Amino acid sequence: MNYLDANTWIGAWPFTFCDSHTARSLQAHLKRQGIQRALVSPLGAVLAPAPGPANRELLRTTRGLVGLIPVPVINPALANWREELVLVAADARVRAVRILPNYHGYRLRAPAVNELVAALTARGLRLIVQMRLIDHRHEYHAMKIKPVPAADLAALLDRHPQLAVLASGLLQPELRKWLPLYPQLLADLTFAEWYETLNHLREKVAARQLAFASHTPLLITAAARAKLDMSPRSKTERVAIASGNLDRWLP
Amino acid sequence: MRIIDVHTHPILREDQRGPAGAAQLIRRARAHGIEHLVALGDVLAFSRMQTAEQVQLINDETAAVMRAHPHFVTGFCYLNPLLGPSVVEAEVARCVARGFRGLKLEIANNARDACMAPVMRAAEQHGLVVLQHAWSMTNIHQRRFHTDPEDVATLAQRFPRVPIIMAHLTGCGVRGILAVKGCLNVVVDTSGAAPEAGLVEFAVEQLGARRVLYGSDAPVRDFGVALARITGSRLDARTQRMLLHDNASALLRLP
Repeated sequence: MNYLDANTWIGAWPFTFCDSHTARSLQAHLKRQGIQRALVSPLGAVLAPAPGPANRELLRTTRGLVGLIPVPVINPALANWREELVLVAADARVRAVRILPNYHGYRLRAPAVNELVAALTARGLRLIVQMRLIDHRHEYHAMKIKPVPAADLAALLDRHPQLAVLASGLLQPELRKWLPLYPQLLADLTFAEWYETLNHLREKVAARQLAFASHTPLLITAAARAKLDMSPRSKTERVAIASGNLDRWLP
Repeated sequence: MRIIDVHTHPILREDQRGPAGAAQLIRRARAHGIEHLVALGDVLAFSRMQTAEQVQLINDETAAVMRAHPHFVTGFCYLNPLLGPSVVEAEVARCVARGFRGLKLEIANNARDACMAPVMRAAEQHGLVVLQHAWSMTNIHQRRFHTDPEDVATLAQRFPRVPIIMAHLTGCGVRGILAVKGCLNVVVDTSGAAPEAGLVEFAVEQLGARRVLYGSDAPVRDFGVALARITGSRLDARTQRMLLHDNASALLRLP
């Protein structure tokens, strides 16, 4: 099956014993796991005071590596986010940007997010909202970070009904609740899990709204593949979730 | 690969899963290569604080799953220690007579509470394994009734002859692994939360391969994902075999 991974990262994460990948080692790891293509963002942009240096490294180190699609991080709470967007959008490989409101100290309801949406729309770029990066119950004890409220995402979609958003890191109850209400929303499977995960989601959610995601290196890559590989859903449906839906979503 | 799953809930009302659903779950387990599983009961069916009658019903349901799938299912007897010594002892005796081989503790109380003493004495008397729910309370703040890994360590030190499975490796985390490292009667199951990379390897490094067991928590979790926590780790094939099968087989004294 052809896999396009919606959620992978390069760089180090200081709070767990997961791997720290360069772009090249990530590409090799994903290849070993049977994943041909991936959206990749820089972990260095999550905790740094500004995402610029990590974005620059992402764009530099992924150049020439087939299958890795760079997804820079934009922080609209910073005064220079428009300049940063211009810089990353100058690279023709950039087709989407990722935002992390809970790590960067703003709400999806903030006026700057509306301005970012307008800027992305004008440039034909997509928006990925990282709803959670870590299960908040297991955040490092000094980190008091809650997930992005799903209701805030819903309000964003109400304000921008034509906006094509990929929500990354929703839990399975959130997926079952919110996706039927917002058919334009695509969500990844990063934290979705229940007995027969896909069957459970498909009771409520359209297959075209789901996208494969491993969250490498924070989660075990093979575990993400198991959600699709071991599922009794039809091949057509699994292929759509493995790559087709995200391929269609990207500009 | 031979596989024993030490942490399942074949009956689960939250999943609308009764006896037919339990049979379906067991068929699915077999399809994943699982040859034996531990059934823990629908331990939050009514609340976190079950009455004696509710405890009996939960265990009757587990006994029915055992009868329907002989040789495939080992039952653990669910207990609410707050019901007192006489209720606990009677329920343990009733379950042991029906072939149960372990006790399951959830979140009625904290494992360090005095009410655990009759439970652990009964486990020792009948040669039972205790599976204690555990989760790091650092960010949850429910330790009054919710057991932290440090509390499992306290329980294990008080009752060093009782083998204890500390549930939910991912929920317990690095600090939890280190908390029970010195308690040689404690093993850890690999269930709980999302499959965090690097944690199973850390548990094996710190506790030794004999003290880590595969558990899924199905149907709260997906068998395929739970298995991949081990098969998708960096552990060598021999170590994976120990986690997936050999350790549980020895602990449960399976033929």
